[in-house]
Amino acid sequence: MIRRRLAVSALVISFVAAALAQRRSLSVNDYPFDDNAPLVTPPDANEKTEWAFARLQYPSLQSNNRAWMARGHWTIDYPKADRQFASGVRRLTRLHVRSVEQVVNLESDDIFNWPWIYAVESGHWDLPDAQCAKLREYLLRGGFLMTDDFHGTYEWDVMMASMSRVFPDRPVVDIPNNDQIFHVLYDLDDRFQVPGTVNYPFNKTYEYDGYEAEWKGIYDNKGRLMVAICHNMDLGDAWEHADSPYYPEKFTGLAYRIGINYIMYAMSH
Amino acid sequence: MFEFFFKYPSTVYSKGKLVLLSGWPEWLLILLTVAAIAALSLVMWRSKPVWNNLRSAILTALQATVVCLLLLMLWQPALSVSALKPQQNIVAVVVDNSSSMKRNDSDGTRLDAARKILDSALLKDLEKRFQVRLYSIDQGLHRIANTDALTGNATVSKLGDGLKQLTAESSGLPVGAVLLLSDGADSAGGIDRQTITDIRSQRIPVHTIGFGKEQLTKDLEIRNVDVPIRALSDARLSAAVRFRNRGYAGQKSRIEIKDGAKTLAAKDVTLAKDGEEQTESLMFSAGLAGARRLAVSLKLMDGEENQSNNSMSRFVVVEGRKPRILYIEGEPRWEFKFIRRGVEDDRSIQLVSMLRVTQNKILRQGASSPKELENGFPLTPEELFQYDGLIIGSVDSGYFSLTQQEMIKQFADRRGGGVLFLGGRASLSDGGYDKTGLIDMLPVALPSAKGTFERELAIPIVTPSGKESMILRLVEDPDKNLERWKTMPKLADYQAVGRAKPGAVVLAEMSTPKGVFPLLAIQNYGRGRVGVFATSGSWRWQMTQPKEDMTHEMFWQQLLRWLSSATQGQVIASTPNPLLSDDGKLPIRVEVREKNYLAVADADVTARILGPQSVAAQIKLAPDPVTPGVYTAQWNAPVAGDYVAEIEATRNGQKVGADSLLFRREDGVTENFYSEQNKELLEKLSEETGGRYWKPDMAGKIPTEITFSEAGITTRETYDLWNMPIFFLMLLALRATEWLLRRKWGAV
Repeated sequence: MIRRRLAVSALVISFVAAALAQRRSLSVNDYPFDDNAPLVTPPDANEKTEWAFARLQYPSLQSNNRAWMARGHWTIDYPKADRQFASGVRRLTRLHVRSVEQVVNLESDDIFNWPWIYAVESGHWDLPDAQCAKLREYLLRGGFLMTDDFHGTYEWDVMMASMSRVFPDRPVVDIPNNDQIFHVLYDLDDRFQVPGTVNYPFNKTYEYDGYEAEWKGIYDNKGRLMVAICHNMDLGDAWEHADSPYYPEKFTGLAYRIGINYIMYAMSH
Repeated sequence: MFEFFFKYPSTVYSKGKLVLLSGWPEWLLILLTVAAIAALSLVMWRSKPVWNNLRSAILTALQATVVCLLLLMLWQPALSVSALKPQQNIVAVVVDNSSSMKRNDSDGTRLDAARKILDSALLKDLEKRFQVRLYSIDQGLHRIANTDALTGNATVSKLGDGLKQLTAESSGLPVGAVLLLSDGADSAGGIDRQTITDIRSQRIPVHTIGFGKEQLTKDLEIRNVDVPIRALSDARLSAAVRFRNRGYAGQKSRIEIKDGAKTLAAKDVTLAKDGEEQTESLMFSAGLAGARRLAVSLKLMDGEENQSNNSMSRFVVVEGRKPRILYIEGEPRWEFKFIRRGVEDDRSIQLVSMLRVTQNKILRQGASSPKELENGFPLTPEELFQYDGLIIGSVDSGYFSLTQQEMIKQFADRRGGGVLFLGGRASLSDGGYDKTGLIDMLPVALPSAKGTFERELAIPIVTPSGKESMILRLVEDPDKNLERWKTMPKLADYQAVGRAKPGAVVLAEMSTPKGVFPLLAIQNYGRGRVGVFATSGSWRWQMTQPKEDMTHEMFWQQLLRWLSSATQGQVIASTPNPLLSDDGKLPIRVEVREKNYLAVADADVTARILGPQSVAAQIKLAPDPVTPGVYTAQWNAPVAGDYVAEIEATRNGQKVGADSLLFRREDGVTENFYSEQNKELLEKLSEETGGRYWKPDMAGKIPTEITFSEAGITTRETYDLWNMPIFFLMLLALRATEWLLRRKWGAV
């Protein structure tokens, strides 16, 4: 009996070890997406423009937990996604776009100079009350927040733990297909889940229990979106790896269109 | 005193002509005078006096003056003056019979004082010399038998109209003079130049006797209230209330503006120096569409001598139309978003925007139908002229064809619309506008250089002109408003636009790292208005101030109202003042234009008027012989109350357009104002017609002085001057002076 138990245990341990080894080798050696390419500062990085990709720097939940932090935080995809997306916005629209990103936070009032901000991995943020109040003020003055790249029920709950303190009185709702945000430039009636690179080779597009992409938002009193929440998708990866032959173009194309529509909406509504 | 020295009244001198009766030639007088002076000088020089030359000259001058005077007297100087023939001329005595004459200034009413003067002696004295006709004057002129007919109950006094009627009726009669007894209070606000010219043409002197205190001791009086005649619903209006006080300097009062029982605005004021006119501005909302009768009042002070001049009413027509403004933006900009949001709550403005998001895609917002602007910026005047205002953002001038550029000019010039140019990287000089014909319409002289747009912070500064402007009024009090502007956040960027053109008004400037430049400059252009707002960074006023702060919204709503509210339709009906005070005369002027806003000279224009007590009328307006497209008529509102005139213009049976006119007649109000004697008006009337202003206590001299007139049946009378006492007194004085001087200098 004991021998049998030992044999089963050994089998399970071997299986788990093999699985872990397989995963580590995939993320270290066989993973085709290079996040560590040396960054070259564009020559026009200091150009003063109408719009810049403003990335929100926020405090993380469990910031002492290295494993949890490795899973997501505000610098994910930074700065390659920002710059690559910005170059697309510059090429495809008439917007005067800065080639490099702008990091903003809710501790400084400088955020009010950037009426469009992007928060990645908001399923990991943990905004203090003062920052919640400032974000609320920012949004009610006319600012716009886009959140992206958080997945499943747990990260949704984390995101809402802060967002519900930003707007305790406003519901998060599904954005209907006929909302202007999906038509302001591109007609985006047919949207699909945009996966992160962790899903390579993309035989699945979801992470955790985030099976379906959700397009949610928070409206102001006049029916204008203030917060656009991209849940169960990773547009940031799609921007970041738009130049990768391994990342499918159809996801990148949609991610760019969504991002551009969100900017155009924020600048016209 | 004058007559003691000069023998005759001053009127004889002012109206008479100097003549010499001796019959000897005048040149001989001159020759003898010169010869006498020369002889005296020679004698004095030859005598080689012991005195110095100055003393010799003084004595010579004294002696020469004596000789000259004697020579002049020998030539018998006299005055030839035209005088009325006794009992052959009419003197019209006209008495103001309006209610202001019943004002009790001191001992009885003004009318009592006039009656007393007339009945005690004046009428009798006049009747000894002339035929006297007695009249009362109010709305018009009325012949009366005696002063008992004077009641002072008339609510109106139109001195000008009455005098005009008198001159017309007496054009065939020998009227030698007019004597007007009045306090000078005139319902029409004065006597017009034409009336005075008519009187002068008949050479009838109008003598006036002024009644009433020239200066009250305790009174607070509204002099005028200036408010726009027309306004859009919800517009913020400014009422300029002009008033003066007597005896309350430094005290506090309160101005209120009411619409019925509802108080629209109120302001506490400190009264200025005694007799000094002061003006205070109050701001209020026009409210919803409809006719507003505003009651503007000053708090009644203790002991006021006239308590009926503390309130005044004004009529404002609040229009229900919603001006449409087309905003074309050449690239996505935060300014675009925040302008849209800023005017979103303004119920009186419809902002239709077209934003070029990509090279080939235009985002339309606020359009009335999917068809509107589906082909981009309007291609025809008819399409563009549907709008009341036009905002041109960061759009390169090359985006507009030459035809479209001309249309933009005509939009302001001919259409009468407002055009606002915003700063931006493709705006103004950076957009090549300095090389287009549009440069003519701009209120600033654009520099001929690129790179005028800078994304650097700029500080807005309100100019003295801007301080008074409603566009920049964020706080009602002008001084506090100025302080508020000093705390406004910096603009995100600026554009150097050069100096303002002559005729333009710079309401705000901005301090930038490269100097101070105009921020908001405006000017009229043709029938319309043009403005330049040389930044795209006012969005920071919204994003960097608390969400409750409404200054950004207020600024843009006020700017766009300025841009569009004065833009009229194809048919524009107007009257100089929709509040008819004691007068039913209503001049109506209608302008008729085609869809492309060229004048329509062959329209049929009718006005259907409805008023109180079932008053109804339909009148046809006649084309103005001078200005094509203008039609005029005059109608008389018979009774007090509110009226509406519906004006319609048709051409070949097709309706061109319509407009409506609201007006109101009020009776018995203006007599309450200007309660002090309007001496200035009476003096001016007398002076300009050859008469004289008299105080009541001098009335006894009038019958004599009134004689000297060139009107009516006259004769030339000659009055000797050689025997005037002044001559003899002068001779004595000259000789005595000479004797005294000689004695003093040791020559006697």
